[in-house]
Amino acid sequence: MKRFERQTILPDFGTAGQEKLARAKVLVVGAGGLGCPSLLYLAAAGVGTIGIADGDSISESNLNRQTLFGQNDIGKPKAETAANILQQKYPDVNLNVIPQFLTPQNAPEVLEEYDLILDGSDNFGTRYMINDLCVLLQKPLIMGAIYQYEGQLAVFNYGERPINYRDIYHSPPQSSEIPNCSETGVIGVLPGIIGNLQAAEAIKLLSGLGKVLTNKLLFYNLKTSGFFEVNVDPNPESVKSIPQDLESFRRKNYEITCGLAESISWEKAFDWSRNLESSKLIDIREAGEMPELDQPGIEKIPMSVLLQDQEQLESVENVLLFCKSGQRSENLAARLKELFPEKKIFSIAGGILDPSSPLNTRIHGT
Amino acid sequence: MELFKIKAFGLLAEKLQASEFDFPYHKDTEQLLNALKESHPELQSSKFSLAVDKNLVQQNTGLNGNEEIALLPPFSGG
Repeated sequence: MKRFERQTILPDFGTAGQEKLARAKVLVVGAGGLGCPSLLYLAAAGVGTIGIADGDSISESNLNRQTLFGQNDIGKPKAETAANILQQKYPDVNLNVIPQFLTPQNAPEVLEEYDLILDGSDNFGTRYMINDLCVLLQKPLIMGAIYQYEGQLAVFNYGERPINYRDIYHSPPQSSEIPNCSETGVIGVLPGIIGNLQAAEAIKLLSGLGKVLTNKLLFYNLKTSGFFEVNVDPNPESVKSIPQDLESFRRKNYEITCGLAESISWEKAFDWSRNLESSKLIDIREAGEMPELDQPGIEKIPMSVLLQDQEQLESVENVLLFCKSGQRSENLAARLKELFPEKKIFSIAGGILDPSSPLNTRIHGT
Repeated sequence: MELFKIKAFGLLAEKLQASEFDFPYHKDTEQLLNALKESHPELQSSKFSLAVDKNLVQQNTGLNGNEEIALLPPFSGG
């Protein structure tokens, strides 16, 4: 078979390297700007089994960088379309389509099947989720990510002193730290470069070729053609943020809402609601959620109501939202901020479960 | 007084309007970070890690003044 001749004649790759690739199972998360080039080169190189996980469908604005797809593919599902294209080109590759976005509930069963994961996702929530799951399942993970003209690359859970994403960035950014989650610009060739760097690391790691980029974070800048490599050590603290087992992983909420939600402490929220006339402190939990709160100064308007009808907020300048843990209120604050950019909309950090919540201390009778 | 050479990446370079700039000496990374955030308030709402001479900093680290500092934001795009 001549399909792989040009790589099997390489002395340090050889037929042994090729056989290792043929036996390998690789999952690519996201068939987008990073996934398209890495999928193409992994399949071309002869990786035996490739999984493609993406719940999105192709839109016209994807075409500058998602090079597996063309004008005729607009509207089609990404994972299935990518698999069809690759299968037609390379009938010897075994392709699995996972036509969904990965969630803490469905991801463990999907990832378990594979030897190596490539993260080509486009949001922090998925990045932290895949990282944590790969730590739990002890799967090597090749992370690629881009921003406008720059990219970053790292290999996690591999080598003698394995690192993971949380050794570099301990916790996800708050939604207030992500200025604009809507599509930012990107020059199409940039994810082509970073996605191919991911494919190169994958081929090295699987075949034993060369030296894998372990314990490093690599930056690439397209405008300056500059590479910048940073050494990264494992940080014992980072493990504390990763769920201890699959059961707690499945229960963890990795969603990060985009927008401009700002959080506020209980102390400040009470101070504002008492002293600023145009402030409203709102319990957004749904009717019937326990414990019931009847403190003066707290209004009850469930999130489901506020999403439909914001009339009650018309005259309010400072909106202070809380829920049980602070997650729903953060989500709602971000959405309301889009509707009312001129208002100050805050989510009370930690919700009523927060130790500093006066409501919490009252609930426990102290 | 010694000046640090500071490199900024991604969104931080955009916010600071410079991918490389000089900054006054501070004796450790904690003080340097506080001073940076004070003189560039736009950094307060940003998440980033810090490298000293291309080594990622995970705890407060002493500085001489001739180190190269890098401000490294996470990227999320794919």
